[in-house]
Amino acid sequence: MKFKQESGARNQKSGVLAAAVVCAASVFGAANDTFFIRGVDVYPVTAVKMENVSVLIQDGKIAEIGAKIVAPKGIKIVEGKGLRVYPGMIDSGTTLGLSEISAERVTVDTGELGEFMPQLRALIAVNPESEHFPVVRANGITSTVTYPATGGRGGGGGGSQQIIAGQAALIHMAGWTWEDMEINRSAALTIQFPSTAGGRGNFAADFPEEFGGPQQSYADRKRAYDQAIQRLNDFFDAARQYQKERSNNAPGFKKDLKMEAMIPVLDRKVPVAVTAQRERQIRDAMAFADKQHIRIILLQPRELLKVAADLKAKNIPVILGRTEALPENEDAAYDQAESLPGLVFKSGVKFAFATFNNEFSRNLPYNAARAVAYGLPADEALKAVTINAAEIWGASDKVGSIEKGKWADLMITNGDPLETPTEIKHVYIKGVDIDLTNKQTRLYEKYRNRP
Amino acid sequence: MKKTFLAALFVAAFAHAEVTVIRNATIMSESSKGTFKGSILVRDGKIAEVGENVMVPQGATVIDAQGQWVTPGIIDAHSHIAGDGNINEGSVSVSSMVNIKDIINPEDVAIYRALAGGITTANILHGSANAIGGQTIVLKMRWGKDADGLIFEGAKPGIKFALGENPKRAGNPVGGGRGAQPLNARYPATRMGVEDVIREAFNEAVQYKAEWDAWEKGGKQGIPPRKDLKLEALKEVLEGKRYVHAHCYRSDEILMLIRVADDYGFKIRTFQHVLEGYKVAKEIAAHGAGASTFSDWWSYKAEAWDAIPYNAAVMAKKGVVVSLNSDDAELMRRLNTEAAKAMKYGGMSREDALAMVTINPAKQLGVDNRVGSIEVGKDADIVIFDKDPLSTFSKVQKVMIDGSKYFDRDSEVSARPMKEASKQKMIDREKADQPAQKRRPQ
Amino acid sequence: MKHILIALLAFGAIAAGQPQPTSIAIRNAKIVTVSGPTIAKGTVVLRNGLIDAVGDNVQPPGDALVIDGEGMTVYPGLIDALSTWGIPVPAANGRGGRGATATPAPTVPAPPPARGPEDRPQTTSWVKAMERIQANDRRIESARSAGFTTAFVFPTTGIFGGQGSAVNLAGAKTEDMVLVPSLGQYISLTVRPGGGFPSALMGYIAYVRQIYLDAEHYKLEKDAYDKNPRGMKRPEYDRALEGVLESKRILLPANRWVEVERMVKFAAELKQPVILYGMREGFDKRATDYLKSTPVLVSLKWPVKSPNADPDDEETMKTMEVREKAPTAPQALKTAGVKFAFYSDGLDQPRDIQRAVKKAIDNGLSREDAVRALTLSAAEIYGLADRIGSVEKGKIANLVVTRGDIFDDRTRVEMIFVDGVKHLPAPEAAGRGGVPTENRQ
Repeated sequence: MKFKQESGARNQKSGVLAAAVVCAASVFGAANDTFFIRGVDVYPVTAVKMENVSVLIQDGKIAEIGAKIVAPKGIKIVEGKGLRVYPGMIDSGTTLGLSEISAERVTVDTGELGEFMPQLRALIAVNPESEHFPVVRANGITSTVTYPATGGRGGGGGGSQQIIAGQAALIHMAGWTWEDMEINRSAALTIQFPSTAGGRGNFAADFPEEFGGPQQSYADRKRAYDQAIQRLNDFFDAARQYQKERSNNAPGFKKDLKMEAMIPVLDRKVPVAVTAQRERQIRDAMAFADKQHIRIILLQPRELLKVAADLKAKNIPVILGRTEALPENEDAAYDQAESLPGLVFKSGVKFAFATFNNEFSRNLPYNAARAVAYGLPADEALKAVTINAAEIWGASDKVGSIEKGKWADLMITNGDPLETPTEIKHVYIKGVDIDLTNKQTRLYEKYRNRP
Repeated sequence: MKKTFLAALFVAAFAHAEVTVIRNATIMSESSKGTFKGSILVRDGKIAEVGENVMVPQGATVIDAQGQWVTPGIIDAHSHIAGDGNINEGSVSVSSMVNIKDIINPEDVAIYRALAGGITTANILHGSANAIGGQTIVLKMRWGKDADGLIFEGAKPGIKFALGENPKRAGNPVGGGRGAQPLNARYPATRMGVEDVIREAFNEAVQYKAEWDAWEKGGKQGIPPRKDLKLEALKEVLEGKRYVHAHCYRSDEILMLIRVADDYGFKIRTFQHVLEGYKVAKEIAAHGAGASTFSDWWSYKAEAWDAIPYNAAVMAKKGVVVSLNSDDAELMRRLNTEAAKAMKYGGMSREDALAMVTINPAKQLGVDNRVGSIEVGKDADIVIFDKDPLSTFSKVQKVMIDGSKYFDRDSEVSARPMKEASKQKMIDREKADQPAQKRRPQ
Repeated sequence: MKHILIALLAFGAIAAGQPQPTSIAIRNAKIVTVSGPTIAKGTVVLRNGLIDAVGDNVQPPGDALVIDGEGMTVYPGLIDALSTWGIPVPAANGRGGRGATATPAPTVPAPPPARGPEDRPQTTSWVKAMERIQANDRRIESARSAGFTTAFVFPTTGIFGGQGSAVNLAGAKTEDMVLVPSLGQYISLTVRPGGGFPSALMGYIAYVRQIYLDAEHYKLEKDAYDKNPRGMKRPEYDRALEGVLESKRILLPANRWVEVERMVKFAAELKQPVILYGMREGFDKRATDYLKSTPVLVSLKWPVKSPNADPDDEETMKTMEVREKAPTAPQALKTAGVKFAFYSDGLDQPRDIQRAVKKAIDNGLSREDAVRALTLSAAEIYGLADRIGSVEKGKIANLVVTRGDIFDDRTRVEMIFVDGVKHLPAPEAAGRGGVPTENRQ
C-alpha cells in the first residue's frame, strides 16, 4: 500500500503528530521563523538532491544546508528522517486574494472598467483572509502571481473591454497584511492582447446563424483588431513622450498616474504579461514588444509551437495553462494539452505552469505531473512550478529553490509532491510553520464526527 | 474512393478479436481480490477467465501487459457528452418529456477523448436548469458505432432532477437568467419553490397513474387515457422503472428531496454533485441513495462554498455508495487520478478509491452485473495503463469494450502523420479548386 | 412565318385571358421523356393543357400551332421538390398556438412563452401553402424562366409549418396554379430563440412526439363521438391536431448521417410516411444504409465556407470533408438505390440552381439522373407521377424547351409550357428575396 495514509488533514499544531515529524520545544527565543530540519532529503531544484542532510532556517531565511551542520543550542528541531524538503511551489497565474466565489460578482475584484489601466495594482486588493489561501497552501503551493484580470476567463466585470488591466503581484500565500505577503508588487503589467475572435456570444450557441444575430465579418473584426493594436501603441508612445517631458522637467508638465505607472515598464524594470493565444496574436505581440522595446512574458500562448524558435531567440518566457485541458479542436490530438509542455521544453523556450483558476490552484502539481506522463522530464516539471517561475517573475533571489539566503518557503513531504496521494506534512512560508487546517478540514472534522 | 482517416479509424475500432488474452498484467479490481499479477481471458466480448495463470487458447490474440496495469473500464456517472444541441430544455420547470436518447451524437469527439482516458461507460444526463429535468441514458463509449450502437443495452433509464441555484436561476429577477425580464421569470425562484414544483408534478403524476391503472384494470375498455410524455416519465419513477439522478449541493435540499421521495413512495437512485452530502450522509445512507460527487470542486458558486474534498470519504465511511464523476468532457478523461484524491483526502484505500470510478458508479447505474469489475462473466470492458492508474504520471495505453479494442495509444500516435497529411491534402485540393471558382461569372 | 409567330409571342409571358391555341405541336425536337427512352427527333402535341401525343412519328394535328423544334430539346418541366416560391417573406418569428395566427399583425403583442406542448408552440399545421402563395411573387417567374414549371411549396415557419401544396408556376391567381392542395406536413427542428417551450433540440423532438400521441388520441375520441355523440362530451376542437391528421406524410430534416439515423427511426416511431430533406451527408454510407426505402430531398445549396471566417482559423477535417463531398451525395444515393429529388433551398436565381445541379453532375451524377431528380423522381416521391414529371401522353403539359443540354452553362431556355400555355424566359434580373427553407436541425 504505497500511498496508504491516515489523513491529509491533520492539524500539525494541535498535537496530533504525523509519523516521523517531531517538534521540539523551542527555547530559541520567541522567533517562530527560526528552526532546524534534521536528517532530511533536500530537493533544492537548482542542484541535485541531497540525502540525509540538515537545513538551518534563520529569521525566515535559509541559512545553511549540509550533512555536517549542527543545530544551534535551543533551536526548534524538526525531525526529517524519511521525509523530503522541496521549495514551495509557485502558481504563475491566479486571482487569489481577489476572487472568492467566482459566480458572485460582489466577491470578485478582478476586471476593472477602463481600457488602459496600468495604475491598478492587484496587490492592494489581496484579502489576506481569503479562504482560498489556506486551502491552496496546504498542498505545498506557497506563492502565486495574482492578476488584476483573468483575460476573459471568469471573474466577470468590465474586464472584457480591458487591454491594460493593471499590475500583477507575486505574493507569498500567507501574511497578516498584503504588505507582509508581497514578494514583487509589480511582477508584471498585464495586457490582454487584442484578438480577432468574436462574433456571437454563447447565448446563441444553439441557434442557426440566421437566428444568432448578425455575425461580424472577418474584415470588420480584423479592422477592430488593428485599431486596438494601434491604440495600444499610441498609449505606449504617449507614455514615452511623458517620460521625456518628465525627465526634462518640461514647462507645464503635469503628473499623470497612468503615465507614471508606465515608466518602470518603459525602463524594462517591469515586464509585460501578455495574454495572446493565436499565432498571429503572438507574432503581433512580439512585434509590439520589439517596437516598444519592452520585456514580455506570454500567457497561455496556445499556438506557441508555431513561434517557438522566435520566442527562444528573443528569450521570451511563457506561462503555460493547465495540462488538464481539452484539445483546441476536433482534429487536434487528444493529448494536445498534456504533450505541449514536453514539446515546449524541447524547443528550449523557458516556461512555468499556472492554473489560472483559484478553485484548482491546489492542483498545480498534478498539471505538471500530467505533462510528465506525456513527455516532459520530471525534474523539468518540478522546475516549472518552482525556480522557473521565480526567475520569470524576477524573484529568483527570494524564492523558487532551496538555496542559502532565500526565503524559507518550503514544504516537507513523504514523497513526490507531484503525486496525488503524497502527504504534505509541513508548509513554511518565510520560515513560519503554516497551519495546514482550513475551512475544509474544519468542516471535515466537524461532520465526520456527527453522531 | 479515398478513405478519410476517420473512416479508417472506425474500421480499426470494429476489428473484433474473438478471443484475447491479456498477460502478465498487474490487475486491480474489486476490493476483495486486491491487486495481483495475472492474466485475463476474453471470449465473445465477456471476461471468460481471470487468474494468475490462464491457458492461452489457440488462435487467441495475446496482449503482453508486462509492467502495465489493468483496471475495469472506468465509469462516469455524470456526463453531458455525445448529445446534439442544448442539454437543457430550460424553458419549463418540469421537462421530463424530453429525452437525451433522442439527441445522441455518436460523432462527438468527446466520446473518443473519454475513451482515451479509460472511460467505457457514462451516464448521459440532461442539464440542471429544471427542478425536474429530462430523461437520461447510459452509453458505452463505442466510438465509431451509430447512436443505437452506443446505448448500454438493458441499462435502466433515468431522469434528472435539480435542486438549488440552477433551477431557481430562471426565476430570479437578478439571477441573470431570463428573469432579467421580470414578466418572463420562470417559477420557481427559491428552494421553497423548487420543492413545490416537484411535489406539484408528483401530485399530478399520481393522479395520472391512477387513471391509467384504472383503465388497465378495467380490461383496457374504451379509449385509453391521453398519454402525456411529461407525466409518463414520472409514472415510471413511481413504478420504479426509471432512476432519479438528482443534482444537488446543500444539505437542506438533499434532505428535502429525501422527504419528498418518502412521501410519494419513490427512491432517489443517486444524488449528483451532492457537495454537502457529508453533512447528511446518515440520511442519504438511510434512504439507500448513492452519491456521485466531485473530488475537489468548490467555491465556484455560493452553494459550493461548503464543499470539501473529504466529502467522498465521509459519505463512504457512513455507508453511502459513492462515485466520483466529471460533469465535464475534460475531467472525464482522468477520473482515475480523481479517485486518487479520495486517498489524499480522507484516507481511502487504493482499492476503495478505484471502486469510486468503477464498481460504485456501476452499482449506482444498476449495471454492476455487467461492468465495473474484472470478474468472470462480466463485459470485457478493460483499461490498460502504463503505470499505476492512481499515479498522476500514468496514462491509458489501451481500452477494450465488449472485448473489442476501441483505443490504442500506439496506433493513435503512429497514425497522426497520416491524419495530418490527409488533412493537408484536403486543404490543398480546396485551394487548387478556388481559382476555378473565381473564374466563374458571379 | 412561324418565326414571326414566335417573335410575336416573345413579348413576354402571355397575358391571362388572351386566347390560346387549342393545340400546340413541337416537332423535329429532341425529346427527353424521362419515363422512357429519349426520342432523338420527334413531336410533342399539347391539347387542353395536357400532353396529347409524343413520338418520333407523330403528326402535328391540323389545328395545332406548330413550333419547329429543330435544334431544341424538350424536357418535362422541372420540379422544385421543397420550395417556398410564392410565399412572401414572413414578418417575424411567428409563434403559433391555439388562436394565434402564424404571422401576427405587429399591433398584436407577442403571445407569452409557451409553457409546454399543450400551448402548441410554433405550430400552424393547418395552414396550406396555397393559402399563402401570391401569384405575383417575382420568384415564380424567375424559376419558370429557368425551366421550373412546378413547385411543391411548403409553409416553413415554425415546427409544424403547415401543409405543402403542389402548384404550377404560372397563373393569374393562386387557384389557377394549384395541382394538389395538401402534400404533407413540413416539420422543422431548427432551434429558434423565443423563451418558451421548446428551447432545445430534444424539446423539439419531444414536442413532435407528443403531438402525434395527441393526434392519435384525438382521433379515437373524435371517431367515438361521431359514432355516438349522445352522452359523450364533445372532444375539444384542436386545429393543430386537425392539421396533422390531414397530412398524409411528413417531411423531416436530416443533413448529417447521424440525423438520418435519428429521423428514420423517429418517423417509424411516429408511424408516418416520411420524406427526409437536407442530405448534406447523403454521400456517407452510414446515411444511405439507413435510408433504403425512405425517399429524400437533396438541398441544392451546397455547403460553402463562411465568408466571415478568420483565415487563420483551421477548419475541422469533417467540415472540409462534408463541403467537398456534399455534391457527391446525389450519385451516392443513386448508387445505393435511394429515391431522391432536388430542392432549391432558398436558391432562386436560375443561374445558381443551374450551377448547383451542374456541380452534382461534375461530381458523378449522370445528366439523365439529374433531370430525373428534378422531374419524375420528385413527382414519384409525392405520389404525383400520374400527372407530372415526364413527357407522356395524358400528363399535364408542363415542359421546358431548351437549345442545348439543360444544365450546360451556354444553354438557353427557349420556352416553357405550363398547363399547355407557352411562356418565354424573363431576362435574368428577377430580384432575390427568397425565404430559405430550413434544412438543419
